[in-house]
Amino acid sequence: MSDRSLRVAICVLAAAGAAIAGYLLYERWTGGPLVCATGGCETVQNSRYSKVAGVPVALLGLLAYTGIFVTGLLRTELARAIGAALAVSGLAFALYLVYVQNSKIHAWCQWCLASDAILAALAVLTVVRLLREPEPLAGGAPAVAAPRRR
Amino acid sequence: MSKGARVRQQRVQAPQKRGGRRIKTPQPAGKTGSRRNLYLGVLGAVVVLAAVLVGASVLSSGGSSSSPKTVSISSVGATNELLAGIPQNGIVLGNPNAPVTMQEFADIQCPGCDQYMRSAFPDIVRKYVRPGKVRIEWKGISFLGPDSEKGLRYVNAAGEQNKLWNVAELLYRNQGTENSGWVTNELLRSVGEAVPGLDADKVEANVNSSAVNREMADAANEFSTFGLSSTPGFAIGPTGGTLQVFNPSAYSVDAFAPTFAKYLKQSR
Repeated sequence: MSDRSLRVAICVLAAAGAAIAGYLLYERWTGGPLVCATGGCETVQNSRYSKVAGVPVALLGLLAYTGIFVTGLLRTELARAIGAALAVSGLAFALYLVYVQNSKIHAWCQWCLASDAILAALAVLTVVRLLREPEPLAGGAPAVAAPRRR
Repeated sequence: MSKGARVRQQRVQAPQKRGGRRIKTPQPAGKTGSRRNLYLGVLGAVVVLAAVLVGASVLSSGGSSSSPKTVSISSVGATNELLAGIPQNGIVLGNPNAPVTMQEFADIQCPGCDQYMRSAFPDIVRKYVRPGKVRIEWKGISFLGPDSEKGLRYVNAAGEQNKLWNVAELLYRNQGTENSGWVTNELLRSVGEAVPGLDADKVEANVNSSAVNREMADAANEFSTFGLSSTPGFAIGPTGGTLQVFNPSAYSVDAFAPTFAKYLKQSR
């Protein structure tokens, strides 16, 4: 898979994740009902675990997905590193929230689970992208400056 | 620099593709070290970010012992959908200027109230409350036992955040056997957390507030004044006017419709 394909996949997944987070955030702020096949979306969405230090988890998710999306647009090594850090740490937090849904809230939110799946895929893709050698930029220059010759 | 050395240097600086596949080129020692540092930096950032998020979540959720656990409750979506967008103000559901007022005297434990809430209330809300024709006042009564008062206090405390009807409806939808101790802290917490925009901590803090005590006392007095002896009981009339006790022939919207129509016609 080329770096370009990886970046496209990362941007598409991040946009899907941002759409889910945005929907959850919108319904939270407007108080509207969530479309929910699992029946526990509202319970999870309004549980005391749905905020971190007063900030809705959905807002954190929206910011993280936006950050990953932006890093997918960029070709620098720093962008790849930040993208991987955001996706993997987001996945770790998402796994903790899966535990919370199962053991603390006793309810499942389909939107959260979909977001978790997207985060898992993003974690894999961003780490693969990070571990690959940088491709040269257009014109032949490498994406990362080569060590200076003395 | 010799010609061979220059070629090697070019290969390191610009990896080439052959036949669509990347050729792995030898890395200079400094570059390998910088990539290792990059990986360690990412790993460190991941650990710190994840630890901060999980730690903050555990702390802001009240830890594992200070708040009651939650239990699975049903009909959350249906309840929130039924009441979404309808004005609530304390014990009142519906447009404050609705021409007709209905008072509902109910005990959170009574099976008849549950039957009414399931069979008639949703249609009354859709046909009369949501269009702004009827407003309903909650008059919570607790005469069946300890579970009644515990549940009622939680319902009325939610009224201070204008979410009383969501909590009442959800408690009925998850009603247990009378005086079995079904109104647990865990159930109340779960109901509170299932209502959009409701601060469950604040509700728990207000269950014994003076406002809740006053509302319960007022409801008990009016229940007695109307000569009611069982729940659910109803009084209907023009808003701001005198309400009359109403005994529905059945718990369906059709049983209430003629009385609503009579007062709606008077208001024109």
